[in-house]
Order: sequence, then C-alpha cells, then structure tokens
Amino acid sequence: MIPFLTYPLALMALAAVPALAAIYLLRNRFRRRQVSSLVLWQFQVQSKAGGAKINRLQLPLLFFLELLALVLLVVAATGPQWKLPQSARPLIVVLDDSYSMRAVSDNLSAQARAHDFLERLFRHQPPPSTRLILAGGDPRSLGTTAKSWREVNELLSQWQCRAPAAAIDTAITLAAEVDKQQANILVLTDHRPGDEKISNQRLEWHAFGLPLDNFAMVNASRTAFGERDRCLLEVANLSSNAHATKLTVQYGSNTVQSTSILLGAHESQRLVFNIPAEAPLLRATLDADPLAEDNEVQLLPPIRKRVRVQVALANENLAALVSRTLDATGLRAAISENPELVFHETGTAAGSNAWSMAWSTLAATNAYTGPFIVDTSHPLAAGIALEGVVWAAAAATNAPGDVPVIFAGNTPLLSVHEDPLGRRQLTLNLNPEISTLQNTPDWPILFWNILAWRISEMPGLQESNARLGTEVDLKTTGEAVTVTQPDGGKRFFPKTGGELALETPLPGIYSVVANATTNQFSVNVLAADKSDLAACATGQWGKWGEDTEHRLVEASVVWVFGLLALALLTTHLWLVATAKGRS
Amino acid sequence: METALRQALHAGEKLGLRYALQIPQVAASGWTGSRSGRRAGSSIDFQDFREYQPGDDLRFIDWGIYARSDRLTVKLFREEVTPHLDLILDGSRSMNLEDTAKAGAVAKLAALLATAAANAQCTQSVWLSGEGFQRLPNDSLTPSAWDKLVLSSQRTPEQSFEILPPKFRRLGVRVLISDLLWPGEPAQMLRRLRDGAAALFVVQLLARDDANPPEHGNLRVVDSETGGESEIYIDASIAKQYSDNLARLQQSWADACRQYGARMTTLIAENLEDSLGELEAIQLLAPA
Repeated sequence: MIPFLTYPLALMALAAVPALAAIYLLRNRFRRRQVSSLVLWQFQVQSKAGGAKINRLQLPLLFFLELLALVLLVVAATGPQWKLPQSARPLIVVLDDSYSMRAVSDNLSAQARAHDFLERLFRHQPPPSTRLILAGGDPRSLGTTAKSWREVNELLSQWQCRAPAAAIDTAITLAAEVDKQQANILVLTDHRPGDEKISNQRLEWHAFGLPLDNFAMVNASRTAFGERDRCLLEVANLSSNAHATKLTVQYGSNTVQSTSILLGAHESQRLVFNIPAEAPLLRATLDADPLAEDNEVQLLPPIRKRVRVQVALANENLAALVSRTLDATGLRAAISENPELVFHETGTAAGSNAWSMAWSTLAATNAYTGPFIVDTSHPLAAGIALEGVVWAAAAATNAPGDVPVIFAGNTPLLSVHEDPLGRRQLTLNLNPEISTLQNTPDWPILFWNILAWRISEMPGLQESNARLGTEVDLKTTGEAVTVTQPDGGKRFFPKTGGELALETPLPGIYSVVANATTNQFSVNVLAADKSDLAACATGQWGKWGEDTEHRLVEASVVWVFGLLALALLTTHLWLVATAKGRS
Repeated sequence: METALRQALHAGEKLGLRYALQIPQVAASGWTGSRSGRRAGSSIDFQDFREYQPGDDLRFIDWGIYARSDRLTVKLFREEVTPHLDLILDGSRSMNLEDTAKAGAVAKLAALLATAAANAQCTQSVWLSGEGFQRLPNDSLTPSAWDKLVLSSQRTPEQSFEILPPKFRRLGVRVLISDLLWPGEPAQMLRRLRDGAAALFVVQLLARDDANPPEHGNLRVVDSETGGESEIYIDASIAKQYSDNLARLQQSWADACRQYGARMTTLIAENLEDSLGELEAIQLLAPA
C-alpha cells in the first residue's frame, strides 16, 4: 500500500513550505505602538481575548489551510500511484469470426446476439480494460486495449464473421498469454466448447447459435477439359431431415441448370457438367436459407497456360518422339518462337528465360532395371513409378550443383540444375534406343510434369478459383501488384520478390493488376464444417471465479490530492471573503 | 525645556495676538486693576452716595453734604479690578506622546490663551500637574519667558490634585488643557476646578492617533504613562469598539461639564490652528 511517486523530483517544491511559514511569521509579528493611555483599550483588553482568539485560531487556520493545500499540490505533482483494489479484472473477448455466426434466425444472427450480450455486460459490469481477439482461421488481436464500451464498439466493426474456420482454442491460448494469466476471458461463439467441463476459473464460454437446417455448396471446381471446361458442384443437406432446394446454374445470360434437388439428412449430391471454355463467370445458387454465405459459388474459367517449346534434337527419331509426346500433353503452345523450354543435346540454354532439357548421353550402353530411387517430392517425379522399366544410361556421376531426381544406384538418370538467372536446366541420362521408358505410362507423365512445372513457374496466377481463407499464389517478375478485393478495398504491393501469396479473407471476385495486365480469381465459401449448423447451440459454459474478482492494481491518485487541495482552497477563499480569516 | 516646546510657545504667543480672552461679567472682581469691577472701589469713577458707616474711609466723606445737611455721607466710586486666567496644564506623559504633535500643541495652545488673556488685560497663572500642581516659573510674564514646561509626569491631573491642589485666584477664569484620558469620574475633578471660578473651560487636546482607530493588524500598545503593554489584534470590530470607548469617555466629560456649568471642546493637536474656531464657539476666545 506504499504509494509510488512517478515524479519524485517534484518534492523539491516543498521548499515553498518554509517560505510560507516565513511570510506568516513576518506578517503576524506585533507592531509596537505607544498610546496615551490604556483607558481606551480597556474594552480592547477584554476584546483582546476575542481578538487573540481570532488571531490564534482563525489566522493559523488560514495558514494551516494554505500549508496543507501546498503539500497536497506538491504530492499531486509527484504523480502518486497507489495500489487500489480493482473491482474486476481486465477482459479479453475471443470473437468467433467464422461465417456460421452470420446464420440468421428470427431476423437475428448469432453475431448480433453476441454483440447485445457484450453490450449488456459492459452496462452492468464494465471491466477496467478490454482486448478483442478475432478467432478466424488464425487468431488476430484487434487494436489496442479499449477502456469504454464506445471504444469496444468501434473495434467491433472489424468483426465481420467471414472466416471459413474459427481457431478458438488458439485464440484462448493467445488471450492467456497476452495478459499474463491476469484477465478474464470471454468466448463469444455459436457452438459448444470441445470439453464442456471448463476448469479454467477465468474462462467463460458463451454460445449464441441455434441448430438450423442448412443447404450449402461444399465443393465447386472448374477445370480445363480439352476445349471445354468441366465443372463440379457438390450440394449438401446439412440438417437432420430431408429437404429440397433449387439449384440454379448460369453463366452470362445462359442458364445451364435449374433443378430441384431433394436430399436426405446429411446427404450430398455432386453435379458434373461441361460448359464451353469461352463461357465467362459461372454462377450457381441455392434457395435462401438461414446461412446465405454458402448458397452461392462463382467459378471463373480455368487458367490455360501453354509452354512454347523448341525441340532442337539432332536425332530425328528422338525429336519426333518428343514432339509427339509434347503435343499429347495439350500444354504445348502452337508456336515455338521465343521458346520457354528447349530440348537439345548440348549443355547450352537458348533464350533469356528458357529452360533447357539436355539429352546428355544418347550413346550410353548401361541398362538399368532398378531399383530406381525417385525423389517423389519433386514436381518432376509426381506419378512416376518406373516399374519394369529398362533405363539405359551412361555410368556417370552428377555434376556439381545438379540435384538428382531419379537415380539408379549412384548414377543420376534425371537431374536438375538452377542457374544464377533462375532458369532450370534438366539433364536426362537416357538412351531411348535400348530403353523401354518411352513405351511405359511414365513417359507421358514425365513430359507432363516437365511442362506443368514450367507452367507453374511462369508469371501470373496459378489458379482462378479458390476456397475462402486459402492463399492464391501469384508469380511475378518483380513488378508492382495491385489487388482489388470484392468489397472494393485495394492492396498495393510496390515490389514483389517473384512470388506473392494473396490472402482471401472475403468471398467474391478479386482483381489482380500486375505489369499492366489484369487477372481475376474467384473465392468461394466452401467449408462443410462451418456450413453445418446442426452443432450450433446456445448456452454458457464455465464461470469466472469469485476469488479472482478482486485484485490490487496500481492506479494514479493524483485526482484525490487535487480534489482535496481544491476543497481546501475553496474553504480558504470563503474564509477570506467573509473576513473570518483576515489578517 | 525642549527647544521644540520653546518654539511652540513662541508660535502660540504669536498666534494669540489675534485673539482676546472673553471675560465673563462674574469674573470682574478681584484685585484693583484696569477693569471696572461690579463692586464699589477706589477708582476715580463716581458710582453713588451712601451714609457713612463706621469703618468707612474718612477720605471719601463728602464734606459738602455734611455742611449742608449735617449728615455724614460718603462717596462711592466704581471698583477697578484685574481679571485673572488660571491655565491648568496636564503635565502627564500622555501629553507628550511620541510621534505626535501633542506636546507642541499643548505649549502652543497655552501660549495662545495666555497671550489672548493679556490682550484682554487679564493676569494669568499657569499650573502644571505633576507631583502636585506647580506654577510655571515666570508664568505671569509673556509665554516666551515661561520655563520648565516639562510633560513627563506619571501622575494624572486627578492624582496631582490629591497631592497638592493649585491655589486658584477666586473668580478667575480657569482653562483645563488635557487629553482627559484617565480612568475615574470627571465630576470630582470638575467640582474642584469649578469651585470659586468665574468660568471653567475644558479643552480636550488629542493627538490624531488618539482620536482615530488604529490600522488593522497585530499591535502591541504601550501606555505612555505606566508603561503597561497589551497585545491586540485590530480589526473592524475592534476599531469600532475603540471609537465607542472614546465617544463614551467624551460624553461622560460633557455631561459632567454641563452639570458644573463648564464648557468643553475637543481639539486635534495636528490640526490645532484650523480648530481655533471651536474656542470661539465656547466663548473662550474672541477676535482681538
């Protein structure tokens, strides 16, 4: 309970106390005066007692008032802090930011009910300070500490409930770490806690959800399928009863489907259909239900990137084989000028950004039948099995800097090297004349992988449709990028390092402007877990312990000393004004 | 005697040349002098005849009437008298209050009255209170010749009366100059002064500090006569009490004066020359 002085140097002002005392001493001394006779002072002698009374009581009273006021002001100037009992602990509110909080029942969403509860809490038991943590896919603290409901309400405008998941447990852990186990934690969500028996004395879990029937799009995709696009939609009935809904699929002014879907409890139905590749944005909608967010998906045409390939092999048979295989992938561009990938037999690359595929030892005579060691984590090795393959290769070791992808013993059969410009040089140690690789399914798979890897490293978006909350990769050449979100918000990246992972916090169409080129991608709410409202509940779990409601907190008590000094000075003024303390 | 007092006597003497003492008729008796008395006397002014009575001066028998009527008849002449002024000065220390013009005013006023008396062909005696009443040396001469005018007694005039009362001339005009600031009944003092006097005037001479309440603040007042001290805090109410006390004292003297046929006035020492009209108002002085 010992006060802490913020500015102890202010105590030097106490030097004014002796000065005040000196003033009074000089002021109160008796002036000598000779009078003709004390006969006229006889009454004075009697009233002298009265005068002395005033002298010795009123005057010192003024002095002591001034002295006390002076001391109080000096103490106030030192900025004293006192450990005062705090009626309540600080509060940290964990807000479920998932879109299931937007499910509406009786015109009120769980989010609105939680907001009202929080406002009532502040009205009846306002905490000394409040922090807000949004529990979306990742927990995020909202601003600094708020002291009043007005400040809290301002921060709550960022509580949008758009996330596809709610990492509430992680948010609770973060809350516990933020205030060093001192604050009360309040969780506002729409479902029960994982463990309904909450032992934490500082945690209260309030749920405001209702188990509602809901239809939702839980899967949607649009992929290139030759000259057409193949679309997949999956509709789920996330309720305990059979229900019907109407699915409408359209692009532009064309309606692809408008069918009624009847699904049993917890059933889902997939719809696969093709649409022309030139079809613009495809929109699929379901009938209105309590949760509007998962009733619509928008699918943009898939990104069709092709690689300009130059086959510069001297062996005509081999060149023909490679050309045929490349054409079969459908990923080869029609033209070969300015190639992005060159097949050749020498070690030199062609073009500024061209990758090369070097056929190094066409005359090799060692035939390997396995076992082959395949780096399956490498993009080139995806799907390659090499079962029963005879691979004729030269018995050589890999050059420094080469990363082997396929081995036969210590002989590298396929290796990759990255030059200082970021270009990749692939080396294939294969003599096709005495090998069987080109006759196995691994041959087109290998070429697909080569082209797909090259495409993945080309500038631009990698995909045009994404799920809410995932990241969309954007390859750049270092130029500035501007991203426009569905709500109109813009994000500007002045310089990029070749690759950018774009966040998708909102569903809708995003525009990406890079190098004077505009690309779009669509983000859809596709999360079956969050669309399933059957587990939503209303209730309270856990209660803040009584023993934790009182604690000592250092608080400034300057105002106490200031008020006391003000009261003393007011009394002083009154005494002087009424001449009771005149000296 | 202090030089300042001597100078005050000179100033008073000079000032008194403009005035003459007003002599009441009842005072026109006394020694043979320059004024006609109300009784028959030895002057040359014939007044009346009456029959001779044994003891009459044989020189005033009108022998012509005796020859014609065979009766002894004496001639009566108007008596010639010289009126007298008894100046009673308060010689206590309070009349010499420090830092005031009180002592100078006493000397100046006494000299003025003495000169005015001379202008009215009065003789004068100056009595100074102290260890009894004593006449000033050379008091019958002009004021500038007076000596031993010392205002330093610790006795009040009342106490001096008890020790040695003055020997006033009968039917003289008596003027008391004092601040009257002593405890006790003024009646007894006035009765003694009035006894045998033709007229009695009481001039209360106060310093401005005596008349006005002191300033606010803490004050240690010292009695100039007894040396007694008192520490007092002065404020508005105390100042009012002081004024009330002074007024009450003056009222008691005024009442006593009225009882004994005396006339009283109050003068402020620092403002003496401007207050001489007060002396004319009580018919003590008249322009010469």
